[in-house]
Amino acid sequence: MSKLCWTCLSRLFLKYYDYIFPEYDDLYCKYCFVYGQDWAPTAGLEEGISQITSKSQDARRALVWNFPIDVTFKSTNPYGWPQIVLSVYGPDVFGNDVVRGYGAVHVPLSPGRHKKTIPMFVPESTSKLQKFTSWFMGRRPEYTDPKVVAQGEGREVTRVRSQGFVTLLFNVVTKDMRKLGYDTGPPDTQGVSGPSPPQGLPR
Amino acid sequence: MAEVHVIGQIMGATGFSESSLLCKWGVHTGPGFVSPWAAWKLLSGVREGQTQVDTPQIGDMAYWSHPIDLHFATKGLQGWPRLHLQVWSQDSFGRCQLAGYGFCHVPSSPGTHQLDCPTWRPLGSWREQLARAFVGGGPQLLHGDAIYSGADRYRLHTTSGGTVHLELSLLLRHFDRYGVEC
Repeated sequence: MSKLCWTCLSRLFLKYYDYIFPEYDDLYCKYCFVYGQDWAPTAGLEEGISQITSKSQDARRALVWNFPIDVTFKSTNPYGWPQIVLSVYGPDVFGNDVVRGYGAVHVPLSPGRHKKTIPMFVPESTSKLQKFTSWFMGRRPEYTDPKVVAQGEGREVTRVRSQGFVTLLFNVVTKDMRKLGYDTGPPDTQGVSGPSPPQGLPR
Repeated sequence: MAEVHVIGQIMGATGFSESSLLCKWGVHTGPGFVSPWAAWKLLSGVREGQTQVDTPQIGDMAYWSHPIDLHFATKGLQGWPRLHLQVWSQDSFGRCQLAGYGFCHVPSSPGTHQLDCPTWRPLGSWREQLARAFVGGGPQLLHGDAIYSGADRYRLHTTSGGTVHLELSLLLRHFDRYGVEC
């Protein structure tokens, strides 16, 4: 890495996530970063697990983790821009830990504050019998490596069900992008993007 | 040479009458014919792909969150990349039926953009429409380039499908060196 003539860094703090999963409760989340081969983390933890959270008793029925993330990356090439992959797990009716959703989003490119709400989906069983068996045994279909969610290849054969949203707050700082000739456009400090949850659910 | 990075996601689709949807996407650059003087060159990334099949449980938006990461080098502005999409629906037997074709130009200004790409599908005769309603199937384009080129469109009679939602971030490099303002 020291031979290269430039680096570009982004540092992000994920302040909190709260999310909306109407049917499920007592959830925890694992996160990891997926990036191209020109990228390397220089500081902070690339992976982590949050606490288990339950829905609040009030009308909001909010699920809050408020999990901090502080990571720095360096790179020689914007290709392979890091993505954060989230996997949410929770107990089923028999008490087994099952996956409740996978989701991924690119770390925003422009410096500033960005709030993103990402949809979460689970792989679906191929037949009704397998669906019943997996419900009964507590072994739902899941990805052997959650990082596959951040890739485009090989997804054409998967069937999924989308069932929830997670909100992330990014604060991104970059270094030397302009010096190297990159134009990231206007910093959008207002930045609320991503699909809005359906009516009736809190933003 | 100037460089363009397109980094983003095909987020999902709304407004389709069918529920289990998948999207085949591809990026087309340059003129419609193969030219040795092609201005655009794909340095990294895959030019086309297919998303997962999603059946939404909440609301009517099918979510794919399919990542797109492309790195182009270019010598000219002609043939700015176009993203073309085909949305298909899959039934419980695994058969696929066309739900819509659409395309949108990759944005030309740096920054993050929310794109809504409307789609259309060929209508066919009344017999074909009836067959599509009962049995499935329906007319499809033989060559995908009618999706992103205007050349032979006048022959088509189409009806509208739903909308595909994308979020693309553009990173441009050295455009100011060549005096291009975007």
